Amino acid sequence: MWSVVKSVLAALLGVQSNQQRQEDFSSGKPTAYIVTGIVITLLFILVLIFLARFAAR
Amino acid sequence: MHSWWRWLSVISLAMGISQAQANGWNMPIGVTDTSGDIYGLHMTIFWICVVIGVLVFGAMFYSLFRYRYSKGAKASHFHEHTGVEVLWTVIPLLILVGMAVPATATLKDMYDSSDAELDVMVTGQQWRWRYEYLGEDVAFTSNMSTPRAQISGEETRGEHYLLEVDEPLVLPINRKIRLLMTSDDVIHSWWVPDLAVKQDSIPGFINENWVKINEPGIYRGQCAELCGIDHGFMPVVVHAMEEAAFEDWLIGRKEAAAEKAMGVDREWAMAELAERGESVYQSICSSCHQVDGQGSPPAFPALANNEQLISDVDWHIDKVLNGVSGAAMPAFRSTLNPVEIAAVVTYTRNAWGNDTGDVVQPSTVAEQISE
Repeated sequence: MWSVVKSVLAALLGVQSNQQRQEDFSSGKPTAYIVTGIVITLLFILVLIFLARFAAR
Repeated sequence: MHSWWRWLSVISLAMGISQAQANGWNMPIGVTDTSGDIYGLHMTIFWICVVIGVLVFGAMFYSLFRYRYSKGAKASHFHEHTGVEVLWTVIPLLILVGMAVPATATLKDMYDSSDAELDVMVTGQQWRWRYEYLGEDVAFTSNMSTPRAQISGEETRGEHYLLEVDEPLVLPINRKIRLLMTSDDVIHSWWVPDLAVKQDSIPGFINENWVKINEPGIYRGQCAELCGIDHGFMPVVVHAMEEAAFEDWLIGRKEAAAEKAMGVDREWAMAELAERGESVYQSICSSCHQVDGQGSPPAFPALANNEQLISDVDWHIDKVLNGVSGAAMPAFRSTLNPVEIAAVVTYTRNAWGNDTGDVVQPSTVAEQISE
């Protein structure tokens, strides 16, 4: 689970080591990455909304 | 080694910037708190860029020189370096956030026009500005006062060439003034660099902005949105006064307006109207219909020897009052007062060989306006 989150975060930032990528492709399920990706993206949007609300006060 | 020339270049760069300030190459610091904030942001971001530029290009040129092939440098072959990759992603992120925080604070402040003590409506029109002091019953039009002869090169250019008007916008200092911007025809933009205001004036919309001027003075600007043939000839001049002087000016304006209105009821002589009309014609009409009344057909028809104009007074008055829909001729019913309209109509009916002998009285025009 943690390795999936770590990979998704690395992808969002645009950095990923080759070794980690090889592991992800050999062991993980694609659905796990897609769902985690969507959830983290939504969280990111929520953080931005919160920051904008905070700044607009 | 050679660190002396690095310092020399830094010092000369700094000198170049203060020189640019003196030459007017840099943006002005201006005379409002907002303009000072914007200038501060600009310089902060500029110096961040300078530091980044020096570090990045310095590292690049140093590496190119120090590890060059002719000195036997061997390239190291490796894929990915997560540490460095994270570093060059996170550092710019922090820099951008660091710049966004003060910039957002300034933007928020710029858009907060609440608690204004004076409202001024600014209306763009091809090609002049109209100012209306809301609730004060004072309104006037501000036309460029640079003579046409200077533009065509027949006279030498004055000190404030193309940046001078017959009636500047007069504002008090130390008071928050809300500017409400709109337009009668096309999109204009009211721009005064020293006040850090550049706001589009759009037909059918009212945009808000505000200023609080710290120092009395005369501040000049221009229309900043291409709006037609005379876009370059509709300058903005703001005269910022001490509060007491502003109050005196406002009372003077109200008295003058009352006097002007009185002129509507009396009978005017032909010569009086023609003289007044000529000055109105020069400042308002001549940019399209030309000083000699020949116009520039087909967009701007000639007034001299115009048969329809000569034969029909009411038609003539109506066109000046209401404009011509679908053509460039604007409506002047709110821009000019009845005396000015009567004067300019009388003038055009008797100039350049239009010898109609007609005298149009201000009272006639006032009647036609109220119909």
